[in-house]
Amino acid sequence: MPAFFLIVIALVAFYLGYKFYSRYLAEKVYALDPNFVTPAHELRDGVDFVPTHKHVLLGHHFTSVAGAAPIVGPAIAVYWGWLPALTWVVLGTIFAAGVHDFGSIVVSARNRGQNIGTLSGKVISARASTLFLLIIFFLLTLVNAVFGVVMAILFMKNPGAVIPALIVIPIAIFIGQWAYRLGRSIIIPSIVGLLILYVAIPVGQAYPIYVDGLAEAVGLSVRTTWIILIFAYTWIASRLPVWVLLQPRDYINGQQLLVALVVIFAGVLVGWDKITAPAVNDVAAGSPHWFPYLFITVACGAISGFHSMVASGTTSKQLGNETEARFVGYGGALGEGALALAAILACTAGLGAAGDWNTAYADFGAASGGALGHFVDGTGHFLSNLGIPATLGATFAAVVVITFAGTTMDTGVRLQRYILEEISELAGIKALAGRVNVLTTLAVLVPLGLALVPGGDGKGFAFGRLWTLFGTTNQLTAGLALSVIGVWVLARNRNPLAALIPLVFLLVMTTWALILNLFDFFAKGDYLLLVMDAAIFILAAWLAVEAFTAFNRERHNASQAQPAER
Amino acid sequence: MGAHQVLLVREQDGQHSGSGCCGRLGGCHTELGAAADFSHSRARMLQIGEVYRALRACRPALDVVVVDPRNVVWLYPTVWRSARRDGLGRWAALRSMARAGSPMAVVVDGDTLFAGRLPPTEQVVGRILERIDRRFDA
Repeated sequence: MPAFFLIVIALVAFYLGYKFYSRYLAEKVYALDPNFVTPAHELRDGVDFVPTHKHVLLGHHFTSVAGAAPIVGPAIAVYWGWLPALTWVVLGTIFAAGVHDFGSIVVSARNRGQNIGTLSGKVISARASTLFLLIIFFLLTLVNAVFGVVMAILFMKNPGAVIPALIVIPIAIFIGQWAYRLGRSIIIPSIVGLLILYVAIPVGQAYPIYVDGLAEAVGLSVRTTWIILIFAYTWIASRLPVWVLLQPRDYINGQQLLVALVVIFAGVLVGWDKITAPAVNDVAAGSPHWFPYLFITVACGAISGFHSMVASGTTSKQLGNETEARFVGYGGALGEGALALAAILACTAGLGAAGDWNTAYADFGAASGGALGHFVDGTGHFLSNLGIPATLGATFAAVVVITFAGTTMDTGVRLQRYILEEISELAGIKALAGRVNVLTTLAVLVPLGLALVPGGDGKGFAFGRLWTLFGTTNQLTAGLALSVIGVWVLARNRNPLAALIPLVFLLVMTTWALILNLFDFFAKGDYLLLVMDAAIFILAAWLAVEAFTAFNRERHNASQAQPAER
Repeated sequence: MGAHQVLLVREQDGQHSGSGCCGRLGGCHTELGAAADFSHSRARMLQIGEVYRALRACRPALDVVVVDPRNVVWLYPTVWRSARRDGLGRWAALRSMARAGSPMAVVVDGDTLFAGRLPPTEQVVGRILERIDRRFDA
């Protein structure tokens, strides 16, 4: 089947989802009121609370949620065939992510722009905000671990990407000095920086960087050496002032995201590539079954709990009219779905002949360990349709993912440091208060340990197991947000099924996968993953109890009490 | 006479695109920590906020849009269109677009009046109003 048809099918489904389902949500579930005074108007200060045109706000919202995660998940999930992956991306986006992102904005806007952590304490129970903090702690630990591995794998497989990825650092530092110290315009330097980055791609290909010698000298594997180097970099990067490296790199990354999306879809249209990968793959014995693993492998791109933080963090404070939450929230979810679609296409149509695909996705270990490599190769093929050599295109795609993953780790370690400080304060551990270096080291060591944990399956490290653990935690965050949305809807005597169905679905899939993982990790002697899995399982059970109790309470209250607020 | 539009360009406190949703940064204003990492960004947001409120006070009907410079899909076409509609030449419009892409900038009808650093609020507002009134007279 030509890949173009999948684009058409997915986009038509997204259009119908927006036109009909989001309208149902807007009218019947969230009951949007054009006369409601949003926090942006009520608390208008020109700083946090600013009524913003919906197209501007969609741009802010989408660029805040789009990143590398909707690429990684689908790139692994096509192992089960393109049909299950595409179906989950399309249906998940329409019936779960759309409800979640849209609802998070609405509920936050109806509560003076409070974020989802605060809202969980207010709408569900006081304990839920502690639960939120713990889920975020595990989520960030796993984010840092998986992206450390992602970068290591890409550096190993694309040594030509090392120089361009390193070049980004001085470029970003220069832009930071130019913009923030000298107060000059950032757009031209960032475009020039992007061009220098692209010039560095063939240079990197000509001079690939290997760390094999270093690895041999220190007696570690190449992957382990890369992971340690990456985390060492992250420690330093996360201790720098944000304006030195992190913020200016954002400008380059934002432009890279746009370029990557355009070239992938343009490459598909020009090349008219066919998908030779199987619609449903007959997976190797011993591989995890798509049910329930598909639903935790693809989190971002189908539904991601992290979006609730963006939606309730800044987006809800800038909503000019409540009715625009539909365009911004639901529209942003569709944009993320389109990114996941691009990843599916790259890892199926982009990989070429069926034989190549079968080799690349021979088993789950190959599928997950090589997922990013497959995306990179597939994107390289799409670029070759546009007249750019495939190897050059592949390095381009690797650089996109590496720079995104690098920035994610930089921010993730910072955020983990804050969370650790908050948790230590809650636990009364005064020794950690203000100890930034100690907190940063802790924030680095925990995910580093996870990233280095060896696989017990005899085939080396299976990245997919770590990734699915990340997926479960992300889905739990989404579950918490859906609980807040569902309880809020029920408290207003409206039908909460739109939030309740994806919530129950996610909770069942997540706990099911966690239980399967428990047995798997125990059998294979992966005790660090086992402990992590057990802890997340406890959080999932805690969430289920909190959600059930809150729904039950509201079910009894709804018919008697008047809503406290509309 | 078309409606005037003032663009107040400044970065949002949250991160954008660089790391996607997984890298959502915290700060005192996002209730995920009390870090002062973004104090410099916050200072710019507060300064733009002052200009915003002062403009609202003296011209409540004025179309004032606060936009992040990384919102490239919206910001630059808007500046270009406004500049051309307002009679700026191609080169001047391009220059205005380039200057608008600053961590902090003020653009009136496609014309970038300030970029990078802003003088005191009264001066900024005075210049904006002068620019608007000049066009209105013309």
